[in-house]
Amino acid sequence: MSLSTAWYLASVILLLGAMGPALLLSSRRGPTDRLIGVSLGGSVAVLVGLLLSQAYGESSYLIVPFVLAVLALTGVLVYTRLLGPR
Amino acid sequence: MQTLAQVLLFAGVAVIVASSWAALWLRGPLVRLHYLSPVTTIGAPLIGVSVVIASGWSLSTGLVLLTVLLLAASGPAMTIALARVIAQREGIAPGESHE
Repeated sequence: MSLSTAWYLASVILLLGAMGPALLLSSRRGPTDRLIGVSLGGSVAVLVGLLLSQAYGESSYLIVPFVLAVLALTGVLVYTRLLGPR
Repeated sequence: MQTLAQVLLFAGVAVIVASSWAALWLRGPLVRLHYLSPVTTIGAPLIGVSVVIASGWSLSTGLVLLTVLLLAASGPAMTIALARVIAQREGIAPGESHE
């Protein structure tokens, strides 16, 4: 298997195998469970972005996962502040 | 080197997929929270190292490593913040006062 195929395959596996559960988790149950799903989805989206950038061979696309890594952390911290104690 | 990169890549992907399904499968937010950590602290660095091995040292590889390091460093911070809010909502930890 060529490396380009491996990047594509890995990103598809992550989208189906990891983003799927993250989306399911973020759409069901209580608010804290959903926030865990959002956090998981953010981390997976960063890694999918990295892999797709490698697959396309476009290093300029790397800015997207880099910015997303910063924003995912910020977003989760803001949501934890908003949820707070009942 | 290409084989090593692929082995590390798919090892990282396997860790992330297994953690995601475990987080979905298990009951209770505090138990689920344990399965966020392997994604950022094991899976992401494995993928980052595989990119470095496959592409060699360059500026774009540096950005990949920086992103992965940021993810690995922010993972525990997110987990701690989430655990705190879950503990407060479940009455395990006292809520902070907003004065």
